[in-house]
Amino acid sequence: MARRAAAWEQGGDEYDYLFKIVLIGDSGVGKSNLLSRFTKNTFSLDSKSTIGVEFATRTIEVEGKTIKAQIWDTAGQERYRAITSAYYRGAVGALLVYDVTKGATFDNVKRWLKELRDHADSNIVIMLIGNKMDLKHLRSVAQEDAASFAEREGLSFIETSALDATNVDRAFQTVLGEIYRIISKKALSTDDSGAGAVKEGQSIQVSAGDSSSVSSRCCSF
Amino acid sequence: MDKKKGVDDTEPGPAPSRPVDRFGFIKTEHSNSPEGILKSRSTHEHEREERRIRKWRKMIGVGGSDWKHYVRRKPHVVKRRIRKGIPDCLRGLVWQLISGSRDLLLMNPGVYETLVIYETSSSELEIIRDISRTFPSHIFFQQRHGPGQRSLYNVLKAYSVYDRDVGYVQGMGFIAGLLLLYMSEEDAFWLIVALLKGAVHSPMEGLYQAGLPLVQQYLCQFEKLVTEHMPKLGQHFQDEMINPSMYASQWFITVFSYSFPFHLTLRVWDVFLYEGIKVVFQVGLALLRFCHDDLVNLPFEQLLHSLRNFPEEATDPDTLLPLAFSFKVSSRLVELDKEYRKKLEGPSASSSSKRFQPLKSRVMSRASSHVSSSPNVSKK
Repeated sequence: MARRAAAWEQGGDEYDYLFKIVLIGDSGVGKSNLLSRFTKNTFSLDSKSTIGVEFATRTIEVEGKTIKAQIWDTAGQERYRAITSAYYRGAVGALLVYDVTKGATFDNVKRWLKELRDHADSNIVIMLIGNKMDLKHLRSVAQEDAASFAEREGLSFIETSALDATNVDRAFQTVLGEIYRIISKKALSTDDSGAGAVKEGQSIQVSAGDSSSVSSRCCSF
Repeated sequence: MDKKKGVDDTEPGPAPSRPVDRFGFIKTEHSNSPEGILKSRSTHEHEREERRIRKWRKMIGVGGSDWKHYVRRKPHVVKRRIRKGIPDCLRGLVWQLISGSRDLLLMNPGVYETLVIYETSSSELEIIRDISRTFPSHIFFQQRHGPGQRSLYNVLKAYSVYDRDVGYVQGMGFIAGLLLLYMSEEDAFWLIVALLKGAVHSPMEGLYQAGLPLVQQYLCQFEKLVTEHMPKLGQHFQDEMINPSMYASQWFITVFSYSFPFHLTLRVWDVFLYEGIKVVFQVGLALLRFCHDDLVNLPFEQLLHSLRNFPEEATDPDTLLPLAFSFKVSSRLVELDKEYRKKLEGPSASSSSKRFQPLKSRVMSRASSHVSSSPNVSKK
């Protein structure tokens, strides 16, 4: 069954599922470093701010299946949503990041959730991430507050440190696992054809939906 | 062999002796700075460079006094010389002359100081957050709260007050940073005003206004040009669902100052300030043409990776720029611009077409009336 993915093997990379994930949250909370920690195991203290969108992938195993995460890292500044919100479409998961040392970035989580509700698929799996937990002496958002907020909103929640790598893999694993479980359940009940199932061939349509939405907005003349 | 030792000596930490390239960027082991090329320069080349500088000095005159006269008399000579690259020692001055920023500065004495000292901006925190994330590997901007970071902050804050509609947008810092390596704060500020308000070319403020309208337009035009000039690649992009917002947004938003080798950035800026935004399209097309035969065979992910990591050969200005100039795009860009706006705005197109004309007089009056009535209030 896994080998049905053969058509999608490119350059020796094989996977059973391809999940499109977006990284969102205020500017400066560490999205790009979470991504580089997860995909390249690197961290840079003096990294440049992200302009537009960045992209990286990593393949992991979840319950015996090979899952490829195609992750879009977006510029955090509000003005950039004009470009970045097009990337929410077709995403099956979102990592919503705030900075545990900056209360304002946590306060803005509500606005990011609204942004997702407006632009993303309604059944997108969202994980709230409190990054920079290594900066213990500067913490201004209590873990319990964030946890109870996440529970109220039905989000998973974890604190991470891209700097010392704490919980970064776990955060991505959790989201990808959750998506996998939802999809495999759906596949059972709808015989592989239900909307939102992103198995093999259909996974490519995930990015198709995204691209066409981007280009139809800007270039339909 | 000695050089090698120097390159290896890149321990983290703010040691002042860390080796930098000729532009002031701290070297990494994989540094793709043109230092090697420079070192191998012969005395013959050195003499040629000296002759070039003399020619340029003559063309400019003392403090730029002959410049306008020369440009009027021999615009094609100027264009040709600029395309070959402005001598680095004269770059800052020439940039101010060709962008029209020198005139703005002279007409608005004291305005910059007022903006920096007496005004406050709602973007201050946003600007501060990005200061250390702008050219972090450049020696001038590395020191926390050092002169480089302070200048960068002042220029960006001043602009965010000067034009409250635009305020501060990520990406502007790279433009300001680039300019600050070649001129004073005040000069850099007026050059940004000249660009965004359109002192010589079309205003570029739409790159940063709410909705980033000009980014969307440029990306759209670029996509069309790719398909027209490289149909096979255009089709491949379409098949692989690649669109320009995935790789080219930063080309336009920062005019190639975000992630390209600095010597290329400078050469692009020489031409950009004199000829306008079309060179960004041309350089973009040239990058794609240079890598065309590889790109058409790559699937989505590798394609995207290649579009964000061009090989060193592709980014050599002496190869890339001639290729760029071989793309004739001016008239097509005007057509595409009209089509785009017609489509986008329908009947109200006339009111916003203002945005796309060089409006020297409007800028001047706005700029000079700043202190009494903010330019951001007296709009449209």
